[in-house]
Parts: sequence; structure tokens; C-alpha cells
Amino acid sequence: METLLHGFITATARIGLDYRFLLDDYERVPFVQGLGVSIEIIVSTMTASAIAGLVLLLALRGRNRLIAGLARCFIEVTRNTPTLVQLYCAFLVLNMLITQWLHARGIDNPFKPFFWVVLVLSLHKAAFHAEALRAGFDALPSQTLEGAASLGFSRATRFWRIELPLALRAALPALANNMVELVKASAVASAIAVGDVTYQSIMIWTQRDNVLALMLLILAFFGVLTWLVTLAGRWLERRYRIPGYGY
Amino acid sequence: MATDSASTVGKLALNLNRLLPGLYAVLGVLATGAVLWSLAPDTGSRGETLARLVEWAPALAHGFAMNVLISIGAIFIGTLIGLLAGALAMSKSFVGKLARVWIVAFRNAPWLVLIYFTTYVFPFEIHVFGAIVPFPDWLKVMLGLALPASANIAEVFRGAVSSIPSAQWEAAASLAFSRSQILLKIVVPQCIRRMLPPWMNVYAIITMGTALSSLVGIHDLLDTAQIASSTVARSSFTVLTYVATLVIFFAYCYPISWLTRTFEKRLRTV
Repeated sequence: METLLHGFITATARIGLDYRFLLDDYERVPFVQGLGVSIEIIVSTMTASAIAGLVLLLALRGRNRLIAGLARCFIEVTRNTPTLVQLYCAFLVLNMLITQWLHARGIDNPFKPFFWVVLVLSLHKAAFHAEALRAGFDALPSQTLEGAASLGFSRATRFWRIELPLALRAALPALANNMVELVKASAVASAIAVGDVTYQSIMIWTQRDNVLALMLLILAFFGVLTWLVTLAGRWLERRYRIPGYGY
Repeated sequence: MATDSASTVGKLALNLNRLLPGLYAVLGVLATGAVLWSLAPDTGSRGETLARLVEWAPALAHGFAMNVLISIGAIFIGTLIGLLAGALAMSKSFVGKLARVWIVAFRNAPWLVLIYFTTYVFPFEIHVFGAIVPFPDWLKVMLGLALPASANIAEVFRGAVSSIPSAQWEAAASLAFSRSQILLKIVVPQCIRRMLPPWMNVYAIITMGTALSSLVGIHDLLDTAQIASSTVARSSFTVLTYVATLVIFFAYCYPISWLTRTFEKRLRTV
């Protein structure tokens, strides 16, 4: 392992890339931890965004006009403003206010930057999930819905057992694309000093001035993750494809 | 004629109706901001922080002009490269393979990483024939955003071309047009109309991406907001500046996405 690492470093040094930080425990350990933190952010955001997206969809399709309108407004704001601005509004404004209020009462703020990143990214992607699912619902064949209604299924049963499974299948490509976007967007975590891979790399390259070497490493990391997510999406599409549709 | 114009007016009113969620959304954001502004634990008077926001407004506007400048430059460069890459990616040659690698690579790379890449890897000045040309940071960010823009526009182009019936290619080929002639004289003119909505969508996304430039030290809107909030250092003022930032971006991007949807609908009905 050690000789392999040395071989890699001398080989890359020959083409002008400096990977010597891998030999230094003080830099390698945070970097590897950063990879882990990035994956943690991505996995928790994927889960939370799926749940929040479903909640938003329920709000959009519910019978309550006010809640549907609020959900619509939330989606419009989320889709038409930068993620970074949303993150700052949450972290620098809400988090600051919470800290100040709790501080006045002698309590420490329990919310960490990691929580805010996951919250903001989840809500952001939830808006896109809800839009994708809404398109899926719009694509449902009306005969199926009428058939289900005529068989006497209740509104809730129709939604959970017939409409949602079909709409999910129709929305799968768009949802998989949203997940790829999510993996890419997770890099903004570095903006509020969550120790993800981008943040740790910035720390290393300000010391060593080896931007290109680290950049290629990060791009490879995100490339592998997006590739895996794409593969998983394709597998789900094949696994859950509706017989008689598509190719 | 009269019914025609009446229906146009009706259509416009219908479309304006679709603007309403955006208006309500802005009102909602402003109301939330106002509540937080009045509740913020702050000792000074609230009216004063509002006056400070008015004081800072020109600086914020200047910052947003930087965002707009970067977005326009990025979409311009991105469109040029993207159309080229999209056209090349259709060929089966080695160059076509390279173009496809370009598209996949820049579609899957995080934008923030690309911006860091162009900002820190490119030199800060270039020597051209002995003269030293400065290479400012905003230009680097523009290029950094042009890379993913080009990949997305190449995909938009590919989608538009594949929406043209392939029978047209065969018919044109039988009339002895060459492949590049068919593409440039027959297919592309039909594509432009179809490409407009997704192209505008890419532009809106690029504009939102320009907020990332504040992380590499460009004095854009978000950076100016940060400077303002740390200079004034009052929590109710911080609420105001960030809400203003959110509303400004929304006011710029929402009409674009509304127009995109309107054009899409018109394309579908034609």
C-alpha cells in the first residue's frame, strides 16, 4: 500500500501534479474525512429531499387551496433563487437569530452547519422532486384513474396504491436527474465551513498551492458519485418499468 | 379579426394569471423578512436599519450588475462552444468522441469546483506577443460558468435536432445536399425556435450560478450583501440585506422562467 502510494506520487510528480499531501497525516486524514462528510451530506440530503418532496406533492395535490397555494409559492421561490443565497438566508440569518435568541436565554445553539446544509439542499431539491412527480401525475392515463374510481377505491387508496406508484415510475428519469444535480450541489457546503471534501481541499491548497492536483481528485470523486447515481437510476427504471411502455 | 384579438387578450390574461404565484411568493418572502426584521434581537431603532438599507442600495445594485454581466458573458461563450460541441458530437469521428466526452464531463462536474478551477488554475495575466494582458477574476468566473453552460446547450441542441423527423435528412440527402448542408440549411433553422425555451432555462440557471462567484472574491450581489451586513453589524439589517438579495435574484429569474413556460406552451399548441 505504502509503496503503491509512493509510486503514484512520483509518477504524478513527473507530469507536474503535487500529491505529496497524501503522505502527511495532518492533511490526508482530514481529506479522507472530507470524502466521508460529503457522502454523509449527499446520502442524508437524498433521503430528506425524497420525504420533503413527497410532502410538497401532497400539499400541492391536497384539497386545501391555501396549503396548495403556499406550496406553489415555496416551489417558485426555491426554483428561481440561487442555492447559495438560500443557504446564506438560512445559515447567516435564521441560524444567527436562533443563536442570539437562545444565547439571551443561556442556551447553546444545537443546530450545526451540517444540519443547515442538509435542510436547505433537501428543501431545494424537494421542490424539483415535487415538480417532477407532478408531471408524472399529469401523465397518468385517465382510463386507469376512472377504472380505479369505478372499482370503489377510496381517494387515499387510489393515491397510495395506484396513482403514486405509476407517477413515480413516470417521474423516475427526472428524479434520477435531480439526484445527480443534488450530488453536484453538495459542494456548496464548503461555503459555510462544513468539513466536506471541497472545504478540506481548499484548506490543503492554500497551504501547498497544488490546486490542479486536488481539483482533478475532487472532479474524479464527484464524477464517480454522479456515475453511480446515474447507474442506480437506470437500474430502477429498468426494474420498475411499466410493461407496454417505452422500449 | 375581432375574435382573434379578443382571444389574444384572453391568452395574455391567462398567462399573466400564471405570474400570480410569483407575486404571492415575493409577498410571502417580504412578509417573512418583515417579521424576522421586527423580531430580531436588536437594540437600535428599526427605522434606522431600513435607512441603512437604502444607503447600501446603490452598492447592491452595482453588485447585481456584476452578476448580470457574468451571466451574459457566460451564456454567450457557452452558446458558441455549446453549439459547436453539439454539432460535433453528432459525428462518429474522433473529434465527435472528444465533444461527447466534453459534454459528459462538464455536465457532471459541480459548478463550484469548476469556478475554483478556472479562478485558481488560470494565470492572473497573459503574455500575448510581449504585451501583458490582465486576466481579471470576473472573466475567469465567466469562463468557469461557460463550461457547464456549453455542455447544457450542446444537449439542448442535440435534443432540438433529434426532434426533427429523420425523414427530412433522407429527403434532403436524396436531393444531393451534403450532411453539413442539411444540418446548417435545413435542420438548424427549424431548431432555433424549439431551442429558445430550454436555452432561456439554461440562462436562468447560469444567472443563479453567478452567486457562487462571491466565494472566489468577486464583488457580486451576495458578496456586497455580506460586506454590508458585516459593516453595519446589526442583526435586523442582516435580515434585510439577505431578504433583499433573495428578492432581487427572484425578480430577475422568475420572469425568465415565466416567459420560458409561455413560449413552451405556444410551441406545443402550434
